[in-house]
Amino acid sequence: MRLRHLLATTVLSTGLATAALADSDWSLAEAAAPYAGTTVDVVFLLRPGYEAIEAMLPAFEEETGIKINIIKHPYENALGEQVRDFVAQGDLDIALIDLVWIGNFAENEWIVPVDEIQAKFPDAVDPDLDMDDFFPLVLNAFGGWNDTIYGLPFDNYSGLLFYNRCMLEEAGFDGPPETWADLKDVYGPALTKDGKYAYALQSKRNETQSADSFARMLWPFGGSFLDDEFRSNLLSDESQAGLQFRQELMAYMPDGIVAYDHAETVNAFAQGDVAMITEWSAFYSTVVSPETSSVADCVEIAPEPMGPAGRKPALGGFSLAVASQADDDEQAAAWLFIQWATSKANAREYLERGGVPARQSVYQEDGLEDFKFVPALVESWQDGVPEFRPRFAEWPEITEIVQEWGTRMMLGEVTTEEGAQEIGTRMEAVLDAAGYYSGDKPLAQ
Amino acid sequence: MRGKVSRKTILSFIGPAVIGLALVGIAPLLYALWTSLHFFNLTQLRRVEFIGLENYWTVLTDGAFWQAMGRTFFLLGTALPLQLALGLMIALVLHQPGLTLLKTLARLSLVLPMATTYAVVGLLGQVMFNQKFGVVNQLLGGADINWIGDPTNAFIMIIFWDVWQWTPFVALVLLASLTMVPGEIEEAARLETKSKWTVLRYVQLPYLLPGLVAVLILRTADTLKLFDMVFTLTRGGPGASTEFISLMIQRVGFRAFDQGLASAQAIILLIITIILAQNYIRVFYKEVN
Amino acid sequence: MAARSGQGPLWGQIILLSLILLVCVFPFYWMVTTSLKTQIVALEAPPVWVFEPTLANYREALFDDGVLRTLVNSLIIAICTTALAILLGVPAAFALARFEFRGKKDLWFWFITNRMVSPIVLALPFFLIARNLGLLDKHITLILIYLTFNLPIVIWIVTDQFRGIPYDLDEAARLEGASQFRIMRSICLPLAMPGIAVSGIFSFIFSWNELMFGLILTRTDAKTAPAMAVSFMEGYNLPYGKIMATSTLIVIPVLIFALLASKQLVRGLTMGAVK
Repeated sequence: MRLRHLLATTVLSTGLATAALADSDWSLAEAAAPYAGTTVDVVFLLRPGYEAIEAMLPAFEEETGIKINIIKHPYENALGEQVRDFVAQGDLDIALIDLVWIGNFAENEWIVPVDEIQAKFPDAVDPDLDMDDFFPLVLNAFGGWNDTIYGLPFDNYSGLLFYNRCMLEEAGFDGPPETWADLKDVYGPALTKDGKYAYALQSKRNETQSADSFARMLWPFGGSFLDDEFRSNLLSDESQAGLQFRQELMAYMPDGIVAYDHAETVNAFAQGDVAMITEWSAFYSTVVSPETSSVADCVEIAPEPMGPAGRKPALGGFSLAVASQADDDEQAAAWLFIQWATSKANAREYLERGGVPARQSVYQEDGLEDFKFVPALVESWQDGVPEFRPRFAEWPEITEIVQEWGTRMMLGEVTTEEGAQEIGTRMEAVLDAAGYYSGDKPLAQ
Repeated sequence: MRGKVSRKTILSFIGPAVIGLALVGIAPLLYALWTSLHFFNLTQLRRVEFIGLENYWTVLTDGAFWQAMGRTFFLLGTALPLQLALGLMIALVLHQPGLTLLKTLARLSLVLPMATTYAVVGLLGQVMFNQKFGVVNQLLGGADINWIGDPTNAFIMIIFWDVWQWTPFVALVLLASLTMVPGEIEEAARLETKSKWTVLRYVQLPYLLPGLVAVLILRTADTLKLFDMVFTLTRGGPGASTEFISLMIQRVGFRAFDQGLASAQAIILLIITIILAQNYIRVFYKEVN
Repeated sequence: MAARSGQGPLWGQIILLSLILLVCVFPFYWMVTTSLKTQIVALEAPPVWVFEPTLANYREALFDDGVLRTLVNSLIIAICTTALAILLGVPAAFALARFEFRGKKDLWFWFITNRMVSPIVLALPFFLIARNLGLLDKHITLILIYLTFNLPIVIWIVTDQFRGIPYDLDEAARLEGASQFRIMRSICLPLAMPGIAVSGIFSFIFSWNELMFGLILTRTDAKTAPAMAVSFMEGYNLPYGKIMATSTLIVIPVLIFALLASKQLVRGLTMGAVK
């Protein structure tokens, strides 16, 4: 094994000059030959995009001889699990990075920049990698930090408006609301009756509260978490307008919405109890499958409504990056896997199996009519707010604060001002301790 | 009286347990003490620095910490009396003769809740108390009670499961204590008075007392430790309505990764637990030695 | 629940006992039936009581997701930690009950205090120590850390048991020159058996049911069953049937064990009520 690797690297270094020529007949099997038998450990979530890759995996393993060892975790455990593994110098060879974790992982140097990997293993780089084919917003937001790309976008989401055409038509609407104000003032009253609700906003006290609920109402109204000096911007008129709007909108949501996670929200929509939800693209397969949805025929997709500040749909998703704690063979094998899983060539199959690739090329192909979410998705990825949730290293601490006070706001235990005040004070304390205000740390999010 | 025993003999009996417990119990505790005096964030390990008592100051002045503490004691104050009252009632009924088969069955069924994995109790709670497809609302005559999403109801639900799981324990401890009362004394007492209450108060209570104290200590400690069931049922929500002290520490330490702060919280919690336990013992359990 | 004469109170007893039975058993009935439902049936509102049962959830949990292995892990860990706790705890309890030495009361209290330490206090230090010793994701790590709450329980219950055994019994043996160890083993141990059994039962149950350390200190090789059950709780899609199937698989062994041991439980749970 070691000898083979040694051989391979010698060949590699002497053959660098010819590498360019050999580009045309690059093959995965050949590139992987030195690493056959290597096992790559990676954390996966229990979500459609991961199941899609898992189903495709045997082909990769057969071709390369690389074994991918998948450790499955629910989202809420995935960060803690990985942080502990990296702190302990454990076994993980690939980091699965939610866009809000990237600052943290990068600053701890737990992950290796893509450039470094390419320089280290030139033979492992697919000439068809074509980084420019990724949606630039997605690549930068999910995989990049401080102008360096670490991860390739893998499980990609944009917030979309899912609506039940049948319910809307019955109430006399021939299309979805264009603005948040319409959703609340026109669609809300008309669709909320007889135990049915116009809208549901997943707001459970975990990342769902900060990402799906809190931030979603902040941005379209012109609000934000932080101002240019990194001070809390939550008490600004715009932020308050958004948070206040969320309170008012709750009149048209089911009771106990603060206990709704994605599962409950999608389920309420799929059972026909709720006419509209704003959810990630990844749920498309769930709501259109007759096995899990009783409204499959009525499902339509639109971009998220606009606010006074425009259309600012939620942005979220995961990239895969090579872990710095892995040894050389594992790093190369990990890179080969990441490259393969996010490749142009596999994007179509990934899409058809329920994943959402971030490749621009695949969405230009024909025959995507069945995937009704594509136009809205592509539109929302043209431009968006990468710092929809700040991506700096301190996010894990700040999100906990937002989760607690955001839900208490919704429950009416505190007013939106009081809640914003609490979040602001606590958030600034975290940022102060991190050194942003003393100038020790650049103001990057 | 007891004979003299050599130091060596004592050590050989007690040494292994002390060493074992010291290794797995004290070493980590000292480590926690050390982290509590530092800025120690798992995601910023390069910035570990000594900050003295700052973490303790932060905890002691944090309203959210004391709210969580208050909630925890409120749970103890509501669930424990229920467990004691129901447990005593069950024990007294089971202690009476007659209805052997039914009593055996009841006794067997009492073993079930206390053996059930706490995390599973929470998962079961999610299924049974769901507002829409939960069986509890159905059994309440098609009620539309929002258990998990309403702060008060969620708290009631937690109390329910805590009582469900631990009343049997109380009942079994008290039942065992009742069987220790010598039969002839109990018979004699019954001939003297018709009042069940008098028998309970003057004949049975002295035997029940040690068991009651043990229950008090164990339930207090376990309520302060309560994590699994709530974690799988409400995760502390909605809002912070079921965020008990152990959930808060876990959140700070393993979700916000601020281990320094979490250690300080945990050590304050430990001090409170020890003070409580010591007082229980001093007040009720004098005959410990 | 008043007197033993008269019809009314007897009926009262019957109703109360039936109620106990029902309340204790019903959640398990619901758990098992839900585990036999498909996701769509499980989500039906209001819930259905009659349906076509399926074993698919069990198949998936046991064979696709590897719950079986986690059950074996839990079993190994629970048995080993129970054995170790009794091995270390019984002699210590004997010394606490029978010998006079300085600091005895403090030592007893220290043992008991360990039972009260919130596992969260120990979780991270233990994680970091285990990492340094290369003990992450190993059975032995959990076996050792479970001692922190099992050893105190053994010592507490068994000390009380030993204390209840009259001294004159071992006095005779001592006069014949028997060692303390001999006295413990052949005279006191048989008499303290109910207490030892109860403490063992509790150790087993506590270890089997533990979640927090199982979550933090294991990953794949030593993953315990409760940690596995929790790992299905993805906010994206809660597979209720599978979660209940896994729960059933976790709970059934310990319930059977507890039922078999219930006689000991009732006899030995005197918690110091000895005169």
